[in-house]
Order: sequence, then structure tokens, then C-alpha cells
Amino acid sequence: MDSELEQIKMENKIPAKERIIAWPRMGRIDIPLKALLIALGAKFVIPPANSNEALEIGVRNSIEGICLPYKLNLANYIMALDKGANTLMMFQAPGSCRLGNYTKMAQKTLRAMGYEFDMVVFDMYKSKMKQTLQAFWHVTHCINPWRYYKGFSIGFSKFFAIDTAERLLFYTRPRELHKGDAEECYNKWLKIADETNSLWKAKKLKKQVIEDFKKIPIDKDKKVPIVYLIGEFFVLLDPYTNQNIEKELGEMGVEVQRQIMFGDWLEHVLKPSIFYRKESHRERSVRYAEKYMKRAIGGECIETIGDTVYAAKHGIDGIIHISPFSCMPEIVAQNILPKVSREEDIPILSLVLDEQTGKAGYITRIEAFIDLIKRKRMKKN
Amino acid sequence: MNTALLIKKVGIPRAISYYNNYPFYYGFFKSLGIEVVLSDRTTTKIINEGCKYVVSDTCLPVKVFAGHVLNLLDKGCDVIFVPSIQSTGYKINNCSKIRGLPEIIRNVINREFTMIEPTLDKTENIDFKSFCNQIANAFQITDQAGIKKAMVDGWKVYNDFCEMTQSGVPYQEALKNSIEGKLIKKTVDIVKPLSVVIMAHGYNLFDERISMNIIKKLEKMDVKVYTSLNVSREASISSIHSLGEIQYWANELELTGTAAYYLLNNKVDGIIALSAFGCGPDSLMVDEMAYHCKEKGMPLIHLTIDEHTGEAGFVTRLEAFVDMLMRKKISILNKNSGKIKKQTADILKIKTDKILTSSVK
Repeated sequence: MDSELEQIKMENKIPAKERIIAWPRMGRIDIPLKALLIALGAKFVIPPANSNEALEIGVRNSIEGICLPYKLNLANYIMALDKGANTLMMFQAPGSCRLGNYTKMAQKTLRAMGYEFDMVVFDMYKSKMKQTLQAFWHVTHCINPWRYYKGFSIGFSKFFAIDTAERLLFYTRPRELHKGDAEECYNKWLKIADETNSLWKAKKLKKQVIEDFKKIPIDKDKKVPIVYLIGEFFVLLDPYTNQNIEKELGEMGVEVQRQIMFGDWLEHVLKPSIFYRKESHRERSVRYAEKYMKRAIGGECIETIGDTVYAAKHGIDGIIHISPFSCMPEIVAQNILPKVSREEDIPILSLVLDEQTGKAGYITRIEAFIDLIKRKRMKKN
Repeated sequence: MNTALLIKKVGIPRAISYYNNYPFYYGFFKSLGIEVVLSDRTTTKIINEGCKYVVSDTCLPVKVFAGHVLNLLDKGCDVIFVPSIQSTGYKINNCSKIRGLPEIIRNVINREFTMIEPTLDKTENIDFKSFCNQIANAFQITDQAGIKKAMVDGWKVYNDFCEMTQSGVPYQEALKNSIEGKLIKKTVDIVKPLSVVIMAHGYNLFDERISMNIIKKLEKMDVKVYTSLNVSREASISSIHSLGEIQYWANELELTGTAAYYLLNNKVDGIIALSAFGCGPDSLMVDEMAYHCKEKGMPLIHLTIDEHTGEAGFVTRLEAFVDMLMRKKISILNKNSGKIKKQTADILKIKTDKILTSSVK
């Protein structure tokens, strides 16, 4: 039974040399993955970034009741296959939510559309590093351990550099004296991170990013309200899906802090527990959410609640909670949040996103919320 | 210690896991000497009460559950049984909303009450025995032999219930008899011109308000209805495997398993999928089944229900579907008319006329 399951997960019809690998897009995940695949000597295709066109393709080919991330993933696959990819990769975490069914459905839909490809799926559930390595060995047949080490190191360095750049961008954007400086700097470093291919240079990226952001002139004494952005993993990390909420907030003069960062998450997931000493985001969330939730229920529900309590205890001004329409774990979170808001005395705005979300209505609600936060802050002082 | 627990009384809301597991709960609590209080049957008032407390995106069954909890509190029962069934096998998990049922109830209902919230999570090695222990320990019962006996008693009631339903006894009758400790067998099986299988969660299908009495409506149209209760667990698991699928959701056997079983043995003329609006697992399972039905040429209709569903539109769609099945069957019969006896064809003709002309009411 087990080997049978493995066969379904890792198809093997195309010889390793002819494989052209593609991944679904999520935020800036393409940059580190590209580095890893180059190190392993594999050919790959990067699907175009999520856009209205991609969403339209996804919506046309998927069922009505499925959540937004799937629709975009499917569109990425279709676009990649059109560009010549023949091996589709994806990770999944079984038992969390519908995510575990994504690849199964995508496989069926794409076969019905007449595409020929291999699907390679690996679990992010116990013995994760082993499965990850196995999947990459499966697609590349690369046996050189140095290359794996190089690929993963460069990949992780880039992840951390991008995460740092993002954090600094959120900090700098509301405080910058000359509008647009931070954004420019961020984009510059994304480009540099994308082009770096040596291990030595990649390791220095993070330091350079910090130094470069320090050069941007900012108003250090400006009182800026701080907002935590929490919610579902995909919509948080994908700027197209969340309508670039971070930028909108930054331009309104609000500092955004996001607790879920892809690099941190991946490090926690992939690093063997003996090397991972600090308290992970999840552990922290479980600790803080204890009063409201006694068990994890899949998805990012417990992180959402934990972060909210954490924010309230650390003087954060407000919470914006975003989730795709009909996301099961986040609906549970939405049910719990009003009570947390009441008892911890922290304002929360819940936004539900789907393919029909209009930007104007969305911005109005955020503006109203920011006004509320500012007034509350004024009252306090 | 909580004084509410000294009165050995527990309230079970008539929603979610009640519909599949109540026979076990009843036998178990009775053997432990705990009185069971049930909430009233679902009414529009209960649904509306529930809707007031949970956010609007939540699915209907959870809203109904909240309504039933409130109903129990109004009745004066303030110890409420809210199980969290996380997974029923390794990596076979439930829907997040069912997993987090105690979390929702604890945080949305702002009244004083005690909750019995045992967890069943086989992925994390919390097995059924520990689930039962958690319940008993909440009532300060630690006598292992007593708990073991209660489990046996619970299984006895449950097995009686399953045996009756699998032999074809309707849900309500089987439930009533199993609780009274009787075991009846259905002897006469009425042959009807059409038969369908309803793939739906027990809490949607057997709740007469939510499902709008779909089983009775179909039976009035002279259609034989099969449900998940007619299929054994083993049969549905093996049917899923023979379709080339893997069980992913804990309650998948009620939907895919049942539908796959009847799809494979060609016992039915059509499949009716009944699901609550916004149900995550259902959207995938129904789609999966639709894919296989298309391959095998089996008609399938997907009916979605929520708290606003009007009965008239619902009935119209049901009638149209049954009419379509009838026409399909007649055309097949006409094609093979040489092969069957004339008499059978006549009987079918009379029944068809009756169905096509008569209204449901």
C-alpha cells in the first residue's frame, strides 16, 4: 500500500534528462527555487506571476466551491505547461485542509484537458527533509551531495535575504522622506538576489540588504501606527491575491508587521529539530492561544489566534485578518476573533478575498479601520 | 471541582456527530450512569438562534449545532457534550470546522456552561479508548473496568443500530429500536421502478429540517432511496480503492464511499449529492464523484442547501431529476424491449404514468 501511494505521488514516465520542471507561484518563492534547480543542473520553467489573466484561466477550469489558491495554482500549471514544462512539482501537508487534495484534483483536470506531464508531490509531514530530498532526487537524478548542499544553502540565503528586505520595506515605507525610495530599493535587491549564483555572494546578501536599507533617509521620530497582518498562508504571501495590501497600508502611513514569512516557515519545517533551537512561530502561537484554543485544527487557525493575543500583549495597534473565501480553518478563526478582540482590547478587521473582490470597497474598509486605530491611539495618549 | 458535573447529566446537541454516533454515546453514558438530555429537533427557530452567534461564512451544520447548544442551555442543561473528532485514521482528517467545534462553541456562546470536549486524533495517537477515558474523567469517573464495560455497552447499541440500518430499516426506526435494545429485521423489500443513492453527511441527510425531508419526498415519487447507512464500512472503503482513489477525509465514506459502492455494483439509476453551501470537503468529493460518474454514464445532481433554501425550488429540481431518470430508463427498456417480458414492461409503464403526472404533495 505504501509503495503504491508513493507511485501515485511521484510519477515516473519522463526520463530525468528530459524533465522541465515547473512550480506554482506564491509570492517570491520562484527566486530561491530557481537557485536550487540551477545548482542541481535541472531545466525549468517559471510560470508568469499571478495576474488577472492567470486567475481567469484558473476560474474557467476549476470547480465553483474550491478556494482561491487552488485556482491560481492550476492557472500556474497550465501556463507553465504551455511554456513547455513536463514535470509539475508541489508540496502538500496532508490533514491540514483542502491543500492535501490540490494535486490530486489538478492532475485529473489537466489530464482531462489533454496535457501530458509527470506530477511529483512530497509531504511536509514528518521526516520532511528526507521526502524533500527524495523528490528533488527523483526529478533531477543528481547524486552529488555538494550540489544539494550548495542549492539548499543558496536557496535559504536568498529566502532570508528576501524576508529581511520585506521586513525592512514594511518598516521604511511609512517613514521614508522621499516617497518610493524603499520600494525601489526592495525591487533592486530582488533583482540582485535573483541573479546571484555563487554561495559566497548569496551568504552576504542579507547583510548587504540591511546596509542598503539603512541608507534610505527616514523620519525616525514619526509616530506610526503598527498593524499586524495575519491570516491564511497563501493570501498573505501572494501580493496579487491580497491586492498588495502591504503597499496600500504603507502608503497610508501604517507600518505592517507580518508574522508568517516563508523563509522562517521553511527553516522550521525542514531543519532537523536538534539544530532548531529557538521557539518556532507555531510553538509561540500555541502558547499564546491557549486561553482560546486548546487544540490545533489544521491550517493557520492557531497561528492567527496566537498572533492576535501576542500582538495585544505587545502594544500593537490593530490586526488585519485576511483569508480566501470558504477557507475552513480561517472561518473557525473568524468565529473566535471577536472574543479575542473584546477580551484583549485590540481592534480587528476581517477581510475575505475571492476572485470578485473589488479593490475600491476593500480600500475603503481598510481606510476606515486605520482611522479607527489612529483615533484610539490618540485617546490613549 | 465544577459543581455542574456532580449532577450526572449531559446534554447532547442533535447535530453533527449525533446523527452517526448517538447509539454509541447513548449506550456509553447510560452504562456510566449519566443521564442523557437531547436538544429538540431542528426547527427554523433553532437555526435562526444559531445564526445570531456564529459569523455568516460558517456552514449551515455548524450554525445548527450552535442553535442546539443554545436550546440545551435554555432547557437548563449546562453540561454539554461537544466532541472534537480530529482524525479517524492515520492522516485521515476531518473538516477543520468539525475538528474545531469545541473551539467555536467555547468562543461564540457567551454564557456560563461546562463543556465535555474529548479529542479523537489517531494521527497524533489519541485513540478511541483515550477518547472514552477523557469523557469519563470529565465526570470524575476513573474506574477502568467500568469505562471498559461502558465502551462494550456502547458498541453493542451501535452495532445493533448498524445491523438494522444495513438490513434496510429506516434511520429513525433503527435508532429508536437500538436504544430500546431491540433488534428488528426488515423482511419485505418493496421493489420500485427507480432507485437512487443520496451521498450526503448524516447530519445533513437525517436532519429533517435541513434536508427538507428529501428521503420521504423521493419515496412519495416511488423512488427507492439508498443512503450511507445501507453500506458497511468495509464495503465503502474497498469501493473507494477500486475507483482508484484514496480516502482523504474522515467522513468521506458517507459520500464518496457510498456513491462509489452503488456506482460500481450498478444498483441505482442516479446519484443525488446533497451538501451544505460552502462545505469545503464536499466541494471536492462531489467533484471527484462527478468525474467518475461522467466516465460511467451515471446521472448525478448536486443540491446545495443553506438556511435560506426555499422548498419549492428544491422540489422542482428533485422532480426534474427523477423525471429525467425515468425517461432514461424507459428509453433503455424500449431499446431492449425484445429481451424482457411484456408484463414487466406494462407494470413499469403504469408506474411511470403515475410518477410523471402526480405531484409530490
